[in-house]
Amino acid sequence: MASLVQQLFRRKPVTEMAEETGADTGQTELARTIGLFQLSMFGIGATIGTGIFFVLSEAVPVAGPAVIWSFVMAGAVAGLTAICYAELASAVPVSGSSYSYAYATLGELPAIGVAACLLLEYGVSAAAVAVGWSQYLNELFDNLFGFMIPDSLSQAPEQGGIFNLPAVILIGLCTLLLIRGASESAKVNAVMVMIKIGILLLFIVLGLQGWNSDNLSDFTPFGLSGITTAAGIIFFSYIGLDAVSTAGEEVKNPRRTMPLAILIALVTVTTLYILVSVVAVAAQPYPEFDGQEAGLAAILEDVTGSTWPATLLAAGAVISIFSVTLVVLYGQTRILFAMARDGMLPELFHKVNPRTLTPVPNTIIVAVVIALLAGLIPINFLAEMTSIGTLVAFLVVSIGVMVLRRTHPDLPRGFKVPLYPITPILSIVGCIWIIQDLRPVTIFVFLIWVGVALVWYFLYGFKHSHLGRHEHVGLIHDEEP
Amino acid sequence: MTMIVGYAPDERGKAALHLATMLSRSSGEELVVCVVVPAPWLPGMARVDAEYREYLEKTAEQALDLARSYLPPDVTATFTRHSARSAPAGLLEVAEQYDASMVVLGSSSAGAFGRIVLGSVTDRLVHSAPLPIALATRGFRIRPETKVRRLTAAYGGSASAQSLVLAAAAIAAKFGAAIRIASFAVWSRPPYTTRLGTDSEDLVLQEWIAELTQAMQDAVGRVRERTDEVPEVVETVIGQGESWPDAIEDIGWDEGDVMVVGSSELGPVAKVFLGSRATRILRHSPVPVVVVPRGAAEDLADQE
Repeated sequence: MASLVQQLFRRKPVTEMAEETGADTGQTELARTIGLFQLSMFGIGATIGTGIFFVLSEAVPVAGPAVIWSFVMAGAVAGLTAICYAELASAVPVSGSSYSYAYATLGELPAIGVAACLLLEYGVSAAAVAVGWSQYLNELFDNLFGFMIPDSLSQAPEQGGIFNLPAVILIGLCTLLLIRGASESAKVNAVMVMIKIGILLLFIVLGLQGWNSDNLSDFTPFGLSGITTAAGIIFFSYIGLDAVSTAGEEVKNPRRTMPLAILIALVTVTTLYILVSVVAVAAQPYPEFDGQEAGLAAILEDVTGSTWPATLLAAGAVISIFSVTLVVLYGQTRILFAMARDGMLPELFHKVNPRTLTPVPNTIIVAVVIALLAGLIPINFLAEMTSIGTLVAFLVVSIGVMVLRRTHPDLPRGFKVPLYPITPILSIVGCIWIIQDLRPVTIFVFLIWVGVALVWYFLYGFKHSHLGRHEHVGLIHDEEP
Repeated sequence: MTMIVGYAPDERGKAALHLATMLSRSSGEELVVCVVVPAPWLPGMARVDAEYREYLEKTAEQALDLARSYLPPDVTATFTRHSARSAPAGLLEVAEQYDASMVVLGSSSAGAFGRIVLGSVTDRLVHSAPLPIALATRGFRIRPETKVRRLTAAYGGSASAQSLVLAAAAIAAKFGAAIRIASFAVWSRPPYTTRLGTDSEDLVLQEWIAELTQAMQDAVGRVRERTDEVPEVVETVIGQGESWPDAIEDIGWDEGDVMVVGSSELGPVAKVFLGSRATRILRHSPVPVVVVPRGAAEDLADQE
């Protein structure tokens, strides 16, 4: 029994991870070149994804105009977890996701749990984002050509359609690019960020014309629990703050820069989100949000009474959501690649095509699964699943910080959480608070999903784990007997 | 066997002559320096263009005289002029006539010094020739006595790449040069918005390198098996970079280096047809390149 526990919590030595990723080949010896401004821009760019473009229609009916507080709450929790993430990323010098960090600090079983969460954070969010894209595409078609894709081909079955075709096409296009080995350059990335911020500013400025205080009179129709439930849904739109942490090795003076950059990004993003939501809830009564498609564009059209602002907004959304889908799909394939490398998934997932230098079978499998999700499942459910996955992954990271402080107090850390242990504890409490107010069905499905991942681990990963097969000894930094 | 040098009395021709000298000195093959002149229209008619033709022939002779003066004494060469409808067609006709092993050409004068730039003649030849084409970089010059020291075979990992390696080994053996097998990994850092860290692509790269190194070792093994005269050094190397020039520069180049690239699998079997990667390698190579058509690669591989 003791040995089983040992196996379940065996950890991958950091030195081995560093070798695998070629950290010693000089490829990853990066100069510390990123300053505070650049790092904050990273955080803002990665966070202002696409959630804000469609999350209001899910969150406002739950919280009413008090959805503003939901943004503050979700933002605070996201900020705390991002700070914890930064410490773990600096202590475990491996590329990758919280899966790699969990494998190195907490052990194999928790790593699988985190991987299950990451599948939601990346895979399911890719599906959610693609569905949002199809809404804005439809809006754009309607405004430009007076033509709409029929509901049967642009809605999930639960919402009266057959199949969400545009979402599936989007995923197909992104997959082709990924297989060909295209990657988004820093310049394209910067342009996409500008487009996203530009659209939101456009919405705020033009939407102000529709200000009607009456819409705010019933500010908290569903009380505190409505606010937390909405925060759970909204959390989805804060994913990305942790991008700041992953740049750790290239950051100048990380101890000071890191928390400041996270703070600046957080404040900027939250301000922008709050302005958008204030303008939105003041423009129309909260029950109208329910089921509203391409929400921001629709509100803008009502407020201004002309179609061009809505068309512009929809066009911007269509362009920027495309790039987000590409990046999220890419992330998903690389996480699965790392897992296959560790023996947790079949070899097929880490086959690299010699010509294109991309994991082709992996990419195709990911695309097919995500396309099915995007085609068949409604967006609010996808958004909530993404949120719960991300929240739990962040929860584990926060616990990981505390565990690592206990087990390896002397480990060199490029960045340490300020106000330890208050910060990780607050982060943990915040995550749990938001999770427990999500819809029961979401939590239930999530538990089943983690259960499936664990069953997979015991049937496959347990035996095939490279760590288990090669009997590697030596835990993290060889400190333990 | 002989090598055909496509010559024009300008800077391009000089680079081609220098490359041909280096190749001929290494393999001991004779050179045929060839100037292609336009064929007369409608032969048999009254010689209305007699003066023009005389002028052409005189220019060609002058060009050949110039070429003769450039060539060092330790290289045997014959000089010829050939009438043909077009320069590429003429060169191929001469190559067939002499049963040549290679056609040597210079770069277009429209590109950067030290790089290969395809002009109208070279472009057509690298897309249609049934025999290997050697291309000099623009302004290519050798020191006296320079020979080919090392051949670098650009390896793509496919089945035809295997026969290209054997063909390159055969050419290297002929030149008395060492051989190295090179692959190029061109990749870029993923955007920070993936939140996996900017080095998340390294894992894929390492996997690719591991697989390719294995394949290249196998290719080396086959070279050792098949050829009696194994070129003295057989090494494998992978160039990495965020762009093609970086990746090609990464493996290091010396005087006396020549690169060998194969034709794409998409083109007709017997002829050169440059694929997208071969084109990029050609464009950024700092050393002369020999383009081997797939059919010729198989023949060369079978010779040994």
